[in-house]
Amino acid sequence: MSDRKLNSSSTKQWKSIEHLAGSVQDSEQEFSSVQQTAPLIDSPVSRRGFMTVMSASMALTAVACRRPEQKLISSVKSHQTAIPGTSIDYATVYSHRNVAYGALVKSREGRPIKVKGNEQHSTNVGTTSAEMQASLLSLYDPDRIRRPRVNRGATSTDNATQKIADGIAEAQANGKKAIVFVSEHCSPSYSKLMGEISTQNSTIEFVTLPSIICDNAAVANKAMFGLDGEFALDLSQAKVVVSVDSDVLGTDKLALLYTRQWATQRSPTGTSAEISKWIMVESQYSLTGANADERVKLHPSQLEPFLAVIEQEIVGSNAVGGSIVGAATAETTSQAKRAAGELKAQSGEAVVLAGRHLSPLANAISLSINNTLGCVGAGRIVDPQNEIPNSGQKSTAVSAAIEMMKSGNVHVVLFADVNPEYSASKEFRNAVAKVPVRAAVNLYEDETADASICSVSIPSAHWLESWGDAISVHGEYSIQQPLIAPLNEGVPSLQDTLISIAKKLSPEFLADTENYYSYVMKNAVEYAAGLDTDAAKAWSKLLTNGVVKSAPRGSYVFNAAGTSALEGSKTSNSMQLQINPSIALYDGKYANNSWLQELPDPVTKITWDNVALMSANTAVSIGVAATKSAKDLAKANEKVVTISTKNGEINLPVYVQVGMADNVIATAVGYGRTAGGRVLMGVGSNCFGVAQSSNSLAFVAISSVKVVEGALHKIATTQNHHTLDDGNGERPIAKWLSAADFKNKKFVGLEEEFPNTGNDGKYLKPLSVNPGYEYKGHRWGMTIDMSSCTGCSSCIIACQSENNIPTVGKEQVILGREMHWIRLDRYYVGDMENPASIMEPMLCQHCENASCENVCPVAATTHSPEGLNEMTYNRCVGTRYCLNNCAYKVRRFNFLNYDTDKRAPLDMVFNPDVTVRMRGIMEKCTFCVQRLHEAKWHAQDDGRARINDGEAITACQEACPAGAIIFGDMNDKDSRVSKARMGDRGFRVLSELNVRPSITYLAKVRNANITSSGVTEEHASSDHHS
Amino acid sequence: MTEVQEQQKLHADPHDEPVREALVLGSPTLRDVTARIASIVESKITAKYLLTLMVTASMAGWGLVALGYTIFVGIGVWGLNNPVGWGWDITNFVFWIGIGHAGTLISAILYLFRQKWRTAINRSAEAMTIFAVLCAMTMVLSHTGRPWLFYWLLPYPNQMQMWVNFRSPLMWDVFAVNTYFTVSLMFWFIGLIPDLATLRNYVKSKIAKTVYGILSLGWTGSNRSWHHYEIAYMILAGISTPLVLSVHSVVSMDFTVGIMPGWHTTIFPPYFVAGAIFSGFAMVMTLLLIVREVLDLKQFITLKHLDNMNRIMLATGMMVGYAYSMEMFIAWYSGNPWEKWVFINRAFGDYAWAYWTMVTCNVVSPQVFWFKKIRRSIPVMFVISIFINIGMWFERFTIIATSLHHDFLPASWGYYSPTWVEISIFVGTFGIFLTLFLLFAKFVPVIAISEVKGILPGSQPKHGSHTEGHA
Repeated sequence: MSDRKLNSSSTKQWKSIEHLAGSVQDSEQEFSSVQQTAPLIDSPVSRRGFMTVMSASMALTAVACRRPEQKLISSVKSHQTAIPGTSIDYATVYSHRNVAYGALVKSREGRPIKVKGNEQHSTNVGTTSAEMQASLLSLYDPDRIRRPRVNRGATSTDNATQKIADGIAEAQANGKKAIVFVSEHCSPSYSKLMGEISTQNSTIEFVTLPSIICDNAAVANKAMFGLDGEFALDLSQAKVVVSVDSDVLGTDKLALLYTRQWATQRSPTGTSAEISKWIMVESQYSLTGANADERVKLHPSQLEPFLAVIEQEIVGSNAVGGSIVGAATAETTSQAKRAAGELKAQSGEAVVLAGRHLSPLANAISLSINNTLGCVGAGRIVDPQNEIPNSGQKSTAVSAAIEMMKSGNVHVVLFADVNPEYSASKEFRNAVAKVPVRAAVNLYEDETADASICSVSIPSAHWLESWGDAISVHGEYSIQQPLIAPLNEGVPSLQDTLISIAKKLSPEFLADTENYYSYVMKNAVEYAAGLDTDAAKAWSKLLTNGVVKSAPRGSYVFNAAGTSALEGSKTSNSMQLQINPSIALYDGKYANNSWLQELPDPVTKITWDNVALMSANTAVSIGVAATKSAKDLAKANEKVVTISTKNGEINLPVYVQVGMADNVIATAVGYGRTAGGRVLMGVGSNCFGVAQSSNSLAFVAISSVKVVEGALHKIATTQNHHTLDDGNGERPIAKWLSAADFKNKKFVGLEEEFPNTGNDGKYLKPLSVNPGYEYKGHRWGMTIDMSSCTGCSSCIIACQSENNIPTVGKEQVILGREMHWIRLDRYYVGDMENPASIMEPMLCQHCENASCENVCPVAATTHSPEGLNEMTYNRCVGTRYCLNNCAYKVRRFNFLNYDTDKRAPLDMVFNPDVTVRMRGIMEKCTFCVQRLHEAKWHAQDDGRARINDGEAITACQEACPAGAIIFGDMNDKDSRVSKARMGDRGFRVLSELNVRPSITYLAKVRNANITSSGVTEEHASSDHHS
Repeated sequence: MTEVQEQQKLHADPHDEPVREALVLGSPTLRDVTARIASIVESKITAKYLLTLMVTASMAGWGLVALGYTIFVGIGVWGLNNPVGWGWDITNFVFWIGIGHAGTLISAILYLFRQKWRTAINRSAEAMTIFAVLCAMTMVLSHTGRPWLFYWLLPYPNQMQMWVNFRSPLMWDVFAVNTYFTVSLMFWFIGLIPDLATLRNYVKSKIAKTVYGILSLGWTGSNRSWHHYEIAYMILAGISTPLVLSVHSVVSMDFTVGIMPGWHTTIFPPYFVAGAIFSGFAMVMTLLLIVREVLDLKQFITLKHLDNMNRIMLATGMMVGYAYSMEMFIAWYSGNPWEKWVFINRAFGDYAWAYWTMVTCNVVSPQVFWFKKIRRSIPVMFVISIFINIGMWFERFTIIATSLHHDFLPASWGYYSPTWVEISIFVGTFGIFLTLFLLFAKFVPVIAISEVKGILPGSQPKHGSHTEGHA
């Protein structure tokens, strides 16, 4: 048969070339069966005969009418490492000011599409913050500077750097100075480079200019430990944490680290039921306060006396805060004594935190208390070895620079990645005006780089486009690898620009170093030496791992005597303005990032704005609300007030926030930018101006608050002031237990209530005439631990980045059309004067009996055999019926073309594995189905039928610093999700509707001194309603 | 019905035809009837008519512009948001479908029950049904996010190998509304055939003659034609009758099948049907009062007709009121906290104004019809009929918007208010409706000529001895 010729087969049917060539052995049999049946046509038509003829003719059609299969293979000339359609992760490092977080950046076809955490980096261990994720969007920001500018005309980088070099040369000639203001950083190479440049050319002086200057902690540490700097704590060891206005879970630079540490102590199980206890003492309602087990709200003037009283209780006669203890009111004293009692009870595992913005004395007091509590020392909670790089005092250098500029001794200023025109004090800005040559190197042409300030503006590369390095708080050294060549061709990194300026001034400078890349590589030798004896291999290993542990650092000894010169705060008991960094935007550096602008504040749920937060009493006292009734307070919101301080005045819209101390107004910086992109324009107001004259953010006395008559400013919130107790019976949605109840195994209210037919593990099988679907393969599910979730919101941005979720803008948020697939529902519980918060991440529950699925007329949303509630975008006609019928309201409708009208190159940020949705289409959480598919392909390649536990994780789980989200296969009894799901705290939201959600929530446990007869009882009775 | 029974009680003699108020005033001859009604078609188009038509056509045009804008830019130009996925769009859809119900009820059910008084009003009520269903279809087609894919809602074999989801009440809607529209159109047209033939014979213009000629399908008026006609009409009446109940029951299932508190209730099908008849009669009333006045048809549309309609409105209004109170009672009685909250929120929440507008218009205002004097007062019934129209629109709005804006999870609550686009589209549907009605009133006999002839005194065959008794 193998020699069958083409012409001999011409009378026969053939299927393919293979058939003709005879490579398919059974072909003859197929044909013969056809021929045998053919004679039946002659016989009288019987039923059997008819059927046979019909099937034979079908078979004939099948074999006769197909074209020969001829496989085409494309010519793929792939890049050495890049395989089209396959992503590669590169290890790099993200620096959040002077804190380094290890990053793995996912790259597809050579473009970075997702920032993930590097699991080997001990600061974030694979998790990411919202800002870190969102910095990816800034890479593709069309508003970035594309060309260097001299005066008002575009020029080449060479010309622009020459211009600066000429200025410096002129300064040198005239015996004047050139100051380079740089931002906070944690790069050893950058530090070294600056040192070498100023050594080479003494005209050039580098001054670190953080947007928020706050030396208080460094001053205290200097006095007590001899360490001019700040350090990271290890809160995972703490059983009791008393934080005095230190928002460690919210606005702190190390919030990602602290959230991870907090979570280790907050997720009780049946076998280890103990959880830590957090007491927050504050005037505002911070994220840490929202999560704390107990909150003490105090006026700002009482915060430091509170610390002093604790110190007196614990330290006794050696107390350093004796001078301010007298300022404590009776209430402060009693509360502080109670807190001191809690601390003493867990001595050695208890810690007191003082906000960085509190006075040096207050910071010293907290160290003194911690020392007595026995938590100071190497490997303890307070270990000064974990120093934050470059965190020493900065105000002296900045003041000196101001003086120098004022005196006319400065000829050139170069603003390198800093924006003082936006954030610095008036004094600073006036001094800058006296400098003849002003230049800026930045990502954006911001307020400072604007032509009105700087005659020279040079674009700098994004961190994903430039080489660098960073050292972490735990002494880990990482290389910042670029993921892509600068999108704006030829744009150098900031350091490269500095090198080229220095080389222009003295060509022999760094003669053997071509650029910053080789400079970093040379520096890295020191750190990478241990990895391999061969330098090239060591470098490549360093890049692969992303992290190498550096040599241990010096130890510090506590010395109480150093406090004598420290000053306490002078915060009076008048009305105070508290200004914080914004949780989403921090200091406004990434204000042109729409992901961050639209990220709701975890507590207030406000997007696209900064507002004046105040208590109901304050609202009444300043006259924006007539009474404290809910109606009047609602009317007070969005009214505009003018707040005056000694530094100036500012207009802000009012937002009444529960749980705030009276006589305090809180707001955030980061908003009110006026240049540097199209997204940030007109968003909020700049509060740097009213802050203290040096730009440290602390309390400022308010001289007056005036209501701007008739002015209303729309505030875009994603959640209104709804609480669990809406006055019509508590809703058993976000369930919680007291720690005591949990320990005593009183899981009141967690059980489901409906007629059932037995148990499905922990859960009831509801009575049904339908036997239900049997999941034979995978059955995907998730657990969310509300006890460890702080509401940090990094999951929102992780999801946004992974799933191409559009931002919609302030107007659309006001209309209620934000698109986030995961939202963090925040519910207040308890006393509305000082409530606790419960954060409940809410996303598609992938209900087994989904109410959305049966109502879709075109079957665009269906259930997969693996338990996913799938949304077929192409099929959706947009009736919105599914949205209406979703009990959780987690479906998102594209009311307009939010994502398809993106300005290039913003469209490059899209994940190519996820469809970009047009208008008129419903979308929602998919459990990152694209990741499931990818994991399946890998499993298939390995010859496995199933994905192993942990091989496919969702983007939100990957980002969550608290590890609160666990995704996996519920059919696998040993998977993490199965175990977590069957835990004692598990419940399903709205289970009484019998929609059978695939997400199990683990009830929050609050370690509050709630008498079981009190709130717990009330809670139990309310659950009875379900 | 009640009147008939009352009248029958008065007369002991079962063979005696009860003394009834005449359904046609002034004892016109057959020729008079033809002349009177056909003359409307034959008469010149007046400036007043043209002006009115221009106003309504402009409304329709403006609505279509707003509709085009929506389709071109997206549903985002409406005020809908995340918790509230349906607003004025579906409110208008249900409203218009409801309006249509009176037509079918009058033409089919009253026909089968041999309610002779229907003849004066059935033609315009049926026309109204068709136009209202057209408006409803406009709303339901345009409310989707991608209206150009509307045909995906139809089960047809396609290369995507996709079938529609028969579990979805929206799918049932597609069938119910399409069936309703088709049957109503056929029923109306069949009923029109003899009258179109009359017009064909009556009109003078050649074009009109040709057009009416084609439309009358060669009607000869022979006994055979009449025989077939009567059978066809009867069959269609039979088919239409269940539709009166089914269409709005199905529409109500859009809500009852949902799990939203405030939607998920078994009372909806009967409650919606009663509401539909209620609103339908109110709309017929509003239009008839205008037509009667403008076209001077007082002879045919008498106070008796209007009185009967007001009675029906009173009855259905009370049914609706009963439904409202039952909803409230069950919400309390069920002990379901979600349900309870939704109803408290309806009456006292953000949309309380809509709820109380609804109650006032639908339950309180028709109560005046207990008094015969008021039932026969043209200005009062005109005002009340408009009140009912407003109230019934708010009923749908209340059900849709208040149930959605505050549902299970307080974190996702929101508030909805319409934009100018939605308002324009609603105005536009009124424009379409009125324009079509005006064209109908001018070019089609507004009163069923042949049927009216059938109820003229003396037109019905009688038993010999009694013929003269009640001449």
